[in-house]
Amino acid sequence: MRNTINRRNFMRNVAASASGMLLGNSLLAAAAEPAPAVAEKAPADRMKQVLRYRKLDAHVHLGLSKDGPEVNVDFMERLGMQRMFISKPVTKPVATPDDFRAANNVILEGMRRYPGQLTGMLTLNPMYPKESLEEIKRCTGEGMVGVKVYYQVKISDPLFYPIVEKLIDLKMIMLMHAETTLGIAGYRMKYDRRIKPNASVPEDFVSIAARYPEAMFQFAHIGGGPDWEYACKVLKHSPNVFIDTSGSNNENNMVEFAVQQVGVDRVLFGSDNMYYQSVGKVIDARLTEAEKRKIFFDNYNNILKKGGYHVD
Amino acid sequence: MLIDVNAWVGHWPFKRLHGNTCEGLLARMKEYGTDVSVVTNLHGIFYKNTQSANEELYEEVHSKRAYKDRFIPFAVINPIYGGWRDDFEVSVKKLGMKGIRVFPNYHDYTITEPALLELVKMARDHNLPVALTMRMVDERQRSWMDLATEWAIKDYLPLLQAVPDAKYMLLNLSTGVGLSAEEEALLKGTDVLFDTSGRHIGHLAKFAKRFGEQRFAFGTHFPVLDYYTGLLRIDSLREEEGDKEQYRYRNAQRFLGL
Repeated sequence: MRNTINRRNFMRNVAASASGMLLGNSLLAAAAEPAPAVAEKAPADRMKQVLRYRKLDAHVHLGLSKDGPEVNVDFMERLGMQRMFISKPVTKPVATPDDFRAANNVILEGMRRYPGQLTGMLTLNPMYPKESLEEIKRCTGEGMVGVKVYYQVKISDPLFYPIVEKLIDLKMIMLMHAETTLGIAGYRMKYDRRIKPNASVPEDFVSIAARYPEAMFQFAHIGGGPDWEYACKVLKHSPNVFIDTSGSNNENNMVEFAVQQVGVDRVLFGSDNMYYQSVGKVIDARLTEAEKRKIFFDNYNNILKKGGYHVD
Repeated sequence: MLIDVNAWVGHWPFKRLHGNTCEGLLARMKEYGTDVSVVTNLHGIFYKNTQSANEELYEEVHSKRAYKDRFIPFAVINPIYGGWRDDFEVSVKKLGMKGIRVFPNYHDYTITEPALLELVKMARDHNLPVALTMRMVDERQRSWMDLATEWAIKDYLPLLQAVPDAKYMLLNLSTGVGLSAEEEALLKGTDVLFDTSGRHIGHLAKFAKRFGEQRFAFGTHFPVLDYYTGLLRIDSLREEEGDKEQYRYRNAQRFLGL
């Protein structure tokens, strides 16, 4: 249908409608003057800007909802992502070897369906060290890159030491679910958020990162519910901890604050399947084009490059 | 053409906001090509006498021609505070407010509070929309002084049931959206406008199909949330997924009577 609305008339009418009741004829007369010029960004230009940035999704899942991998790929194409690093952590307190092998098999199937678009990150449970190390061998042999772990064991627990040492050898990153919510991480317990006691908090990342300075750790989803100001401040002096910006919370200034605290080279784009918020908050961030390129693509690719797993 | 139906100015007491002045909001509007914005003063959530916040907003909006031209002010009314009927009258007739926002949870009254029903009927009689905000900030990382509980969309439905012929805006759909068949029918039978800022709109086309395309309009919830996400949900729709212009401005224009 043809758009018959004239932009200048529309704005003039809005001004009259919004203020005319109070201000009478003088404002109505003034409002008839041309509206001030604006540096308008047309819709097509906005999407061009979104698609112009290459993107590696450093935190995204498959198999945690009823959506199949085609949904991941649909959003990749819609929002201009080159590759997703998908995982399926076992999201219950007990994770047996059968559980994490089955989860990894879901990821392998997704990789087979969309080679070149979906790369897997394997999951494991360090309470089963032998089986976990075997799973690293099996899954990296199938093309997975990196490990994604959940709240069964804290990241700073000695059970993780052999896993971290293996990943140092492989030059792969470990992405750990993280929490920084009222009731944990130094706050007084006031609200029961039902956070599991072994969930990793920023201080746990600081501890393991100091023990293994040559390892690479990824603090999950500052948009996933944590108090992101608290988390970024605690992680400021841990140069081998990277922060991903994924999650449903797209509060204004989140990405800028992370960059200010830990430096732009340690901030990674991720969605945690919250695609609009995760792209939107980086696009809107008050950062330079070069900084956004680093967050969307270069920083994670540089991590992959250490082991030769990078994307061209 | 672009209309933002959910913007704010002012401070949030527990966190520094950026771009939270009329000038800051206008700068973002220019950057993204937004023509006009519905704007409310955040202070109205925290002042006991919310009318002070409405007066602040009026003074700010009328301090500059560009603000007057491009901001559509909404008043915050607390119907359990003294003089609220006068506040409503003054806000509408003298301050030029084009709608109201109410905060039952922050202002500590129930959704079936008789004074709230009276206020909503007054808004209805003036053909003004009543804006209900599902979430102000993500409760997972709120201050220890902030609210301990949030309301899901269904918690607001008794108001729609009590005054079904009023106009409602349901903004920042970030709390529960689960509804029974009866609740969904009630919602669909009421004149409701949703904005696109909320986290639960994981796929706008599917959400619009569920509730009706005419019920959605661009909203930012800025400066609490980033400015672009609510717009990206629209911009990234494929042609076959719906008419983007209705979301960008037509639905808001019709609903607000602009």
